[in-house]
Amino acid sequence: MGNSILSDDGVGIYAAREVRRRLAEAGRSADADIVESEVAGFALMELMAGWEKIILLDSIQFEGLQPGTVIRIEPEDLHTSLRLRSVHDIDLPTALELGRRMGLDMPARLTIFGIQAQDALTLGESLTEAAERGLKETVELVLQEIRDS
Amino acid sequence: MKRISIDPITRLEGHGKIDIFLADDGSVANCYFQVPELRGFEKFIEGMPIEEVPRVVSRICGVCPCSHHLAAGKAADAVYKVDPPPAAKKLRELYNSAAYVHSHIAHFYALAAPDFVLGPDADPAKRNILGIVEKVGVPVAGEVLKHRAIAQDIQIMVGGRSTHPVWTLPGGVSKGITEEQRQDIVEKAKSCVEFAKFSLKLFEDVVLGNKAYLDIILSDTFEMNSYWIGTVDEKNHVNFYHGDHRVVDQNGKEVFRYKDHEYLDYISERVEKYSYLKFPFLKKIGWKGFVDGPESGVYMATPLSRLNAADGMATPLAQAEYEKMYSTLGGKPVKKLLATHWARLVELVYSAERLLELAQDPEVASPNIRTLPTATPEEGVGIVEAMRGILTHHYQTDKNGLVTKANLIVGTTNNNAPISMSIKRAAQKLIQPGKEIGQGLLNMVEMAFRLYDPCFSCATHSLPGEMPLIVEVKDPEGNVIHREGR
Repeated sequence: MGNSILSDDGVGIYAAREVRRRLAEAGRSADADIVESEVAGFALMELMAGWEKIILLDSIQFEGLQPGTVIRIEPEDLHTSLRLRSVHDIDLPTALELGRRMGLDMPARLTIFGIQAQDALTLGESLTEAAERGLKETVELVLQEIRDS
Repeated sequence: MKRISIDPITRLEGHGKIDIFLADDGSVANCYFQVPELRGFEKFIEGMPIEEVPRVVSRICGVCPCSHHLAAGKAADAVYKVDPPPAAKKLRELYNSAAYVHSHIAHFYALAAPDFVLGPDADPAKRNILGIVEKVGVPVAGEVLKHRAIAQDIQIMVGGRSTHPVWTLPGGVSKGITEEQRQDIVEKAKSCVEFAKFSLKLFEDVVLGNKAYLDIILSDTFEMNSYWIGTVDEKNHVNFYHGDHRVVDQNGKEVFRYKDHEYLDYISERVEKYSYLKFPFLKKIGWKGFVDGPESGVYMATPLSRLNAADGMATPLAQAEYEKMYSTLGGKPVKKLLATHWARLVELVYSAERLLELAQDPEVASPNIRTLPTATPEEGVGIVEAMRGILTHHYQTDKNGLVTKANLIVGTTNNNAPISMSIKRAAQKLIQPGKEIGQGLLNMVEMAFRLYDPCFSCATHSLPGEMPLIVEVKDPEGNVIHREGR
């Protein structure tokens, strides 16, 4: 996930592309479907429906983290109660829960790898050095996760 | 002096927050609203061919990409001095109508309704879409999602992609629709009209039928005595895609009217040192600070503004709802800002009806969708009504059509001063010396901000979400004495 023309905001998209390339190189493209998405909220809920397991890659902007840091997040870690977190749309845990309540086939397992962004406000199609480091680490973690699945 | 901060936690470095400063006696002294702004837009598109710009600007934002796409598309027409054929204009407006249905449904049910259907001081853990599902039931919630999805399907069918369209070209659009698709849209639009009617009925039953909620809407906590702006057709009816941009005064009387290319004669922008975002105002009235009234050039650009600035709606059901709204609220212009939610629903009805009207016009399936540009490109302005306010795109190019200069005034930017003023007013009315500042009260302050459906410059959607808010109350020494997260 991310916006691929907004510097580090796009690091999740770039990482997913690299995962796709590495899987193809190893002849293992069938192991995972790589989907690039620039949407959130309701649209993300619909996109997530029907998959057994999802590994979500996105930039993060958490307080106190060094740029480029990669952290593994479970959806319940994002916040402790289902609150309105957005002025435009619903957030990820709410999207998951809403999908379930509406009877959609939401993924049983969801893992998020977040890469701390340094600059996610400057329009551009390249990453900062920190995000680039985070991308490399993420790709290895995701490939391992796919192998273990 | 005490300070209350309403911070989006993704922007702790100082962007995008609401600061409410309390005086020592506990009353509200002042209020500042700061937002993040994307950097480097002009640089990013500098040197880019103007025909590429619509598909790039749509990707700077996930909230109103359609509006950016169309405003840039109209600007590109103007740069090439080319007039698209009628079918292309109708298709663009049809697409825009679907985008409005999509956006207004999401805003009402996910963002506005929780405050009214569940109550402004309801448990925050339930004051969200899940609480709405619980209250209205899964079948109704299913209709909400169904019609949001229908509106999205239409956008994909017409514009190629839903969120980030790649479709307008100088002089028209890159593809048309088939007769079969047109008929499909007719059926989908009929369903949207019914759902829009249902939504207004729900609003009437749940909100207007509840005296406590009606009192909140009619209270002087949420009101503004500013100028109002909106785009109108030749009959002065609301239009989202083309027409004149009309400004009415505090009595609802037209004071200015301008065309796209004339915007610089009417709108000026002011910079305040504490915010990255500019403060537009009416140039001919002038900037008098964060005050309303006839002497101040502050104007508002919202669904309520559009209705206030027009003489009516162009479709029958929406016109009936428009009349009902103004007769209930005591005539025009309505200055009670929470009525913006009502106005948004009137616009939802209009969008659905307009979608149907356009889909029923056989010309939208015409293959004549582009006028090839032949003039030397130079300069152009394109203006549409984005869901959250009038949107202006202005480009200059060299003779090869490569962009040399760009200027954008986006929906929420128009409302930069009004948002600050509304929050300040609500905070002053609600936060009183000696009165406990709880989450319900701070939510009421936030309601003054959410009614604008504000869009923060199309910024990042980095996790953990878009624009979460944190409210901090600080004592005179700056210590946090109260904290609410949402």
